[in-house]
Amino acid sequence: MQSIISSQKLTKEFQSYKKEPGFLGTLKSFVSRESIRKKAVDEFSFNIEEGEIIGLLGPNGAGKTTLMKMFTGIIVPSSGELSIMGHRPSDRDKQFRKNIALVMGQKSQLWWDIPAMDSFLLLQRFYEVSDADFEERIEEMSTLLGVKELLNVHVRKLSLGERMKMELMASLLHNPKVIFLDEPTIGLDLVAQENIRQFILDFHRKNNTTIIITSHYMADVNALCERLVLIFDGKKAFDGPISEFEKILGSEKNVSFTFDSSQDTAAEIWNDRDADWNENKTVVELRIPEESLREVSLEILKYLPVTEFNTEKMPIERVMKTLMENPEILRNCEGSGENMLCR
Amino acid sequence: MKQSPLRHYWQVYKKMASTSASVEMSFRISFCLLVLMDLFFFLSILASVSFIYDHVQTIGPWNRDQLLFFSAFMLTIDNIHMGLVSTNFWMLSFAIRTGELDFTLIKPTHSLFTVFFRQIRPSSFVTLPVAWGILIHYGIKVQLSALDWCLIPLFLILGLTLLCLIEFIVSTSMFWLTEGTGINFLRMQMQQLSRWPNFVYSSLSRKVLTTALPVLLIGSAPVHFIYDKNYWPLIVAMLVAIAACYSVLLFVWNIGLKNYDSASS
Repeated sequence: MQSIISSQKLTKEFQSYKKEPGFLGTLKSFVSRESIRKKAVDEFSFNIEEGEIIGLLGPNGAGKTTLMKMFTGIIVPSSGELSIMGHRPSDRDKQFRKNIALVMGQKSQLWWDIPAMDSFLLLQRFYEVSDADFEERIEEMSTLLGVKELLNVHVRKLSLGERMKMELMASLLHNPKVIFLDEPTIGLDLVAQENIRQFILDFHRKNNTTIIITSHYMADVNALCERLVLIFDGKKAFDGPISEFEKILGSEKNVSFTFDSSQDTAAEIWNDRDADWNENKTVVELRIPEESLREVSLEILKYLPVTEFNTEKMPIERVMKTLMENPEILRNCEGSGENMLCR
Repeated sequence: MKQSPLRHYWQVYKKMASTSASVEMSFRISFCLLVLMDLFFFLSILASVSFIYDHVQTIGPWNRDQLLFFSAFMLTIDNIHMGLVSTNFWMLSFAIRTGELDFTLIKPTHSLFTVFFRQIRPSSFVTLPVAWGILIHYGIKVQLSALDWCLIPLFLILGLTLLCLIEFIVSTSMFWLTEGTGINFLRMQMQQLSRWPNFVYSSLSRKVLTTALPVLLIGSAPVHFIYDKNYWPLIVAMLVAIAACYSVLLFVWNIGLKNYDSASS
């Protein structure tokens, strides 16, 4: 398959300045400023094939949004090569801009003081969408997202979830080939998050769109992406399938058991299981090697009064949390992508 | 739906204009206050000139009616400028600071167009007939010829174009300064300079304000030409200034875009 997005050693450096607190600090910085140069993205290389959905993960300030802004041509890279659909985004070709879309969960492209429909009509003119296509897409998307009745309500009167759905509609009206979603579900309730995920999946299925999504909600990534790219301090730290990402800290599974009464925590069965008990000793969380999961679980279920048994729903969340709390782990990783293993 | 670039931009502009008009007209009191403010502005400019002529016979080569015609010419340019572009200068600084400019930059039209023509101020169109009325009134008083009347719309367009280009260039510095209040007040001071004919300035100031920062060509060049056709070199200078400012604008705008960091999310 052909790469639709390709970046080679993409780097973006920002300059800012230090300011001491207080009025004296303000006066000092007015006269003389100590500037700081920081690489927000550092030699980032990767390829994306047409139709892929990629999850771009990393802690706050890792460089995800900077990457998205370079991909969309909003900011110009300090160095490196970037090609999207054969265009260099910083050239801002009309054809390039007609084929991309950007949704930012924390910013709005809709006009605040008018109904969303007015903004859609303006976007129709920008992207030269025919009346027939426009009406069909509005009808389809508003029905899928359940916002048909809200199209003529002022944007400022909409809830965050409703507004986000309108933002998605606004970005997809021109049927882009590549979509950049920067935290599209931030701040939304669970139902709204689920609606938006489902809508993105449907849109992808129907149009084979290439999608790059950043999110701090692992449920988004779990539901939408097959491939993950992890970015730490501006550098690519992992690039591979989710299934491999879940294993970079090892292939142990987290399993929890709930009992109908307090248990003896010193019993032999808990040895070497990294057991983590609750205060009443009625719930235990274990880390069990994948190969012995069946055997150990059967033993516990057979001999102890288990009332509930859960395997981890999203191991990706644990891996991400561990890496964010202990970024030094990544320095001890061997290999890359699918073969990466961190200790 | 493919269309010619001109038609595409016209379609977008029509929609941007109607959308921003919808926004502004939904705040009725503010809309009425802006109309009143424009009318007071006209009155204050004309009253100032009139007051000076209560004490002197002529200023430079012009009598009261000639200078009032010049002021009316500048007021008409100001009025169209306020209606079509002025709001956008204030919005640019806000858009840079908040990162709202990001969405403007990904639209498939030239960013200069989307940035500076996004918002109109419909209240200024309400006062446009008043501005035209004043211009026509003083045009009759200074006894313009048929040719002069025909040239006035063209000169208004040229003057407006030059004013906008100079202001666009100055506003591009917001990419570096981020905060635009200082720039916007500087821009307004430049408008203020152009509201007086070139002969009120000293030789050096006049040279600077005709060449390096050609604000004096906006109104002085056409009005001098209307009164005396021997001033045609000023019209040539105006056309050269428009071409030069357009080139400079494209150059600095592209550097500004490269320098744009976008606000964090």
